[in-house]
Amino acid sequence: MRSLTLFLRLWTWFSYRQLYAHRWRALAVLLGIGLGAAVFTSVRLAVNASLHSFTQSMDTISGRADWSVVKPGGRVPETLISDLLKNPSVKTASPLLKTYVQAGEQAAREFLLIGLDPILDRALRPWQMDADALSASTWLDLIGQPGTLLLTHKLMASLRLESGGDIKLKYFGRSSKFRILGVLNSQGLALADAGYVAITDIASMQEFTGLHGVVDRIDILLKSTATVRDIERIRAALPAGVILSRPSEAREAGRMMIDAYRLNLSVLSFVSLFVGMFLVYSLVSLNATSRRHELAILRSLGASSKELFWLFITEGAFLGIVGWLLAIPISSFMVHKLLHSVSATITHLFVRVNVDRLKLDPWEVLLSFCVTLLISVLAAYQPAREAVRVPPKEAFLMHDRSLPGHKPLIFPAFVGLFLITIVLPLPKLAGVSHVPFSGYVATFFLFAGFSLLSPWFLAFMGTFLPPLLRYVGGQPAYLGSRYMRDAGSRIAISVGALITAMALYVALVIMVHSFRNTVETWVNQSIRGDVFLQTQTGSVNEYRDPLPGKVVEQLESMQDRIDLLPYRRVYLYEGNIRYLFEAIDFSIFSKYGRLLFLEGDSPAIMQQLAKGEGVIVSEVMANQLNLKIGEYFHAKVGGADFNMPILGIYRDYRTQGGVLHYSLKHYQKLTGDLTWTGTRVFLRNDQPPPRPSREAIMQQLYRIVRHTPGVVVTIGSDLRREILRIFDETFAITTVLLLIALFVAALGITTTLTVLVLERTRELNTLLAIGASFRQIRAMIFWEAVLMVTAGQILGAGCGFILSRLLIYVINRQSFGWTFLYSVDWGSLSASLPLIFTTALLAAIPASRMAFRQSPASLLRER
Amino acid sequence: MVWITKLLLLPVMFFLGAALPTSGYAEKQFKSVTGPCNLHFPRDHGPHQDFRTEWWYYTGHLESEEGHGFGFQLTFFRSRVTPPATVRYPPESPSAWRTDQLYLAHAALTDIPGQDFFHAEQMARAALGMAGASQEGDSTSIFLKHWYARIEPHIHKLGAETDDFSVQLTLKPAKSPVPHGNSGYSLKGRKKESASCYYSMTRLQATGSVFLQNEEYPVKGLAWMDHEFSSAPLEADLVGWDWFSLQFNDNTELMIYLLRQDDGEYSPASSGTFVEPAGRVQHLSREMIDVEILEVWESPRSAAIYPARWRIRIKPLDLELIVRPTLADQEMLTPESTRVTYWEGSVSANGSIEGNALHGAGYVELTGYAKKFDAPM
Repeated sequence: MRSLTLFLRLWTWFSYRQLYAHRWRALAVLLGIGLGAAVFTSVRLAVNASLHSFTQSMDTISGRADWSVVKPGGRVPETLISDLLKNPSVKTASPLLKTYVQAGEQAAREFLLIGLDPILDRALRPWQMDADALSASTWLDLIGQPGTLLLTHKLMASLRLESGGDIKLKYFGRSSKFRILGVLNSQGLALADAGYVAITDIASMQEFTGLHGVVDRIDILLKSTATVRDIERIRAALPAGVILSRPSEAREAGRMMIDAYRLNLSVLSFVSLFVGMFLVYSLVSLNATSRRHELAILRSLGASSKELFWLFITEGAFLGIVGWLLAIPISSFMVHKLLHSVSATITHLFVRVNVDRLKLDPWEVLLSFCVTLLISVLAAYQPAREAVRVPPKEAFLMHDRSLPGHKPLIFPAFVGLFLITIVLPLPKLAGVSHVPFSGYVATFFLFAGFSLLSPWFLAFMGTFLPPLLRYVGGQPAYLGSRYMRDAGSRIAISVGALITAMALYVALVIMVHSFRNTVETWVNQSIRGDVFLQTQTGSVNEYRDPLPGKVVEQLESMQDRIDLLPYRRVYLYEGNIRYLFEAIDFSIFSKYGRLLFLEGDSPAIMQQLAKGEGVIVSEVMANQLNLKIGEYFHAKVGGADFNMPILGIYRDYRTQGGVLHYSLKHYQKLTGDLTWTGTRVFLRNDQPPPRPSREAIMQQLYRIVRHTPGVVVTIGSDLRREILRIFDETFAITTVLLLIALFVAALGITTTLTVLVLERTRELNTLLAIGASFRQIRAMIFWEAVLMVTAGQILGAGCGFILSRLLIYVINRQSFGWTFLYSVDWGSLSASLPLIFTTALLAAIPASRMAFRQSPASLLRER
Repeated sequence: MVWITKLLLLPVMFFLGAALPTSGYAEKQFKSVTGPCNLHFPRDHGPHQDFRTEWWYYTGHLESEEGHGFGFQLTFFRSRVTPPATVRYPPESPSAWRTDQLYLAHAALTDIPGQDFFHAEQMARAALGMAGASQEGDSTSIFLKHWYARIEPHIHKLGAETDDFSVQLTLKPAKSPVPHGNSGYSLKGRKKESASCYYSMTRLQATGSVFLQNEEYPVKGLAWMDHEFSSAPLEADLVGWDWFSLQFNDNTELMIYLLRQDDGEYSPASSGTFVEPAGRVQHLSREMIDVEILEVWESPRSAAIYPARWRIRIKPLDLELIVRPTLADQEMLTPESTRVTYWEGSVSANGSIEGNALHGAGYVELTGYAKKFDAPM
């Protein structure tokens, strides 16, 4: 205990006072670390909030159910309930019908309405009425009184309603008045969808929605004695098209997608922290090298080398801990900004989530603390080892030997090259559960390889460029570039930080550009159509609501003026992976658009598809389920068994999983299901004059929709624009994270140059004393910065180009299942790289000002 | 889940013939029993859905060929949750789930030599073939999921399967239905509408099978059936109910219900019925019935103290009996669903009538010992 106290006292005298004396420098490092830690923590907390909201919602709605009876793409006949309840292996069975409804006239006030049987459901899903509203009459009225419901406190407050009052609900063009019987306690089912939920009796739900005779699903709780054979018997007794599925499948499918997204954002946000690590290294390294004289004195006074080692490790830990503490207020600000955009992105990309509050997970806090502390301590490790090597005899030297000696450069360069080389085969290893481990390892090797290469590269530049630069920038340029050759590994470390940030910038610019270009091509070729008609609740209700027959009839009567491309969508599960089965009319599709095939001969495939001789799968589905051309797709869809060869793999960027396409005509023949989920409409221009005007046709389409509530019409160009808008919104977070990483890197440049200037103050002033002008010395520092930034940019760009291919062909494929057409955004890069260059140079200004704060005389005075 | 408790408490209270399921509606909003019931059979075996509550209750004693004795109970309760006039938004196109009738059922089995007791319960709304009661011709059918009771002109069929046991029985009436009170009008309080329509089938010859612990027992025995319907709640000063149904070896039967007041006395509305071998019915008023509790049993679970041995004297009949449970612990605990705690079980009776030895078996129901029934809810 005594020795610890002594050590802490020594640390305060030796290290803390030094940090305090140069507090602005220390603050810059702390800001960098704090920003890195804040970004890392905020991103994870924001994604976790979405994940928590999603899983909680799914869990509370699934309840204790062992199995669910569902009908992919449709709804389950309610008459099955009786047989299921009478089945001796079934403990209870309970129907569920849920949908998002609109409250009153406020379109934005959408919430989840769950229709259930309060009696059958009680063993499956807990929910309770609020104590002040507790009365048996109230809940019995849910069954006995049509058009009654229970709301959560949160919903009541947000809609400004009171118990006993009425609420007007809208669904699919239907409108109905409900009486509020009471308030649900904030537990169990009331926690679904972040608490924006209401419960009604299944009868009231059907009467309101018009979904008589069907329910979304029937959840089953089995007796403990039920065997696999009993489950098979239940399965066998179900009618065609109705299947038994695990309620966890949907949850797991969604959870896996959000998990993959969280990992990607975590890695991206970790880059800021990683770049911050370079800052800690720079500062601790400066303190270790510039204070060799004091270190030697300490050694000569009896301090052990171990104590010196721990002084610097503690300094690193101190920076990490204080940086992490600084991250707390930054995170609390940042996380609220990120919360909405992250949940919106997850909703756009994967599954609907409703997040309105954060859950502060102690494990996340601990993780953030440990990661920040670990990287800070790791960053201090090398300088601490150097400090240990200071011999006590240096205490008798008149001057600091502050400049470290030359270090071998070839070996690290070879290691760097080796790491870069093995990046090539690494990505061929498959990802594990949507986690591209090999991609991340390759990325790490790439950063490490280029960083290790940078000292040699700087030495190379410092050897061959000075004569050339002398012609351009005179003697200051020559001296500056020479210094680069001799500056040692500290410059390389800062250049490493710049390489990391630059590489990430270049890679993400290329990836986002490639992605956007591919999506744009896909949208323009595969999502063609003048008008799209579908039901308002289509995707929310997993395409269970088909287009009303009346609309289909009216559309078919217009076929002399329009071409219809109807489609039928059904969500299916293969294990925990959800994908979309879409049957379309390929002959019409081929007339107006085309698919972006990755594999397969497109015209031949289209012919086979039109004949119903096989299916084509999206790249996402092929990657997720490891499907290849020639293999067979097996599934039960709409009561029919499908066993079709896979004819092709095509690009598709629908964000909620893979897609499989089959011929609509043959789907209808096989299943007898003639309903349409929706249709695309193409206005024909091949009729003989007088042709009806586009406006006249559009007016007619609008008339059809106006008289059919619940059907929405979307203009094709609007839809395509909306897809691209969502895309841009999705990458907004990436851009923010990237800018923070660049900012931290710029801080790194400032710190490094400051360090370089400060540790050479004596030399710089000697130059001044022997006749150099301030201008010349500043020019020299400027050229040093130019070379550093140039080296960082060249290596960073090289690293970025490789990284961009890793991101597109490995990390994206393993995380999300898709790849893109590689294309480099030369325009953006050539515009932004000079900008980054200039910014980095601007970051050098404070350093050049530091050089002459003391008079040359005082600095050159002999001690 | 107090609200579930409250709901599920209703049928038990209803079973006692006093408390009724309620949605906060006054009993006058339902059809009420205020006078003679004019029961006609087989019509009145069927449901009376205008009334708030109704039950069909079967109990009995069975014995296998090897002499393994069982007591059984199977009861179906119907509860109407809403009077039609109070429906605020009647649907234009009602859902198939739309109903205001709920059904509940209890099944229990007492393994007398094994000294074990099993019970289970069910609940569902009267929709989509999940539960219901109907009449077709002369037959009445009551069912809840896969439990059922079918009343045909000369036969009753019962079936229930639980996790622990199952019973399948055919019951043959040996006597005609016995209306209690005044032609079935059974007063349960001071007010004339505090009453029910109540009749019993006091002697049913039972054959069938009991399945318990992986063993099937072909059985024979005697069963009792009650059918009662009403809309009246339990009067405020009543805390519970002791009910006896006894079948004797001289081909007679006795039913007694004793309404317990909060002052510890039996209510003057308590009464009973004695059925002679030929089926002639004698109504027994409160004054004719003398019941003395000789022993009590404390439940180790609920801590409720139940009477566990009685001396019953019916002076006009010169009848004296000692009634004791065949198994002390026949307490119905339903923590997962109703959370109502009461005692209902098989008993044996020994004594004399007019000096002649008398033996018998029956069922006793004791409510309000664990917690006072608080009615109306």
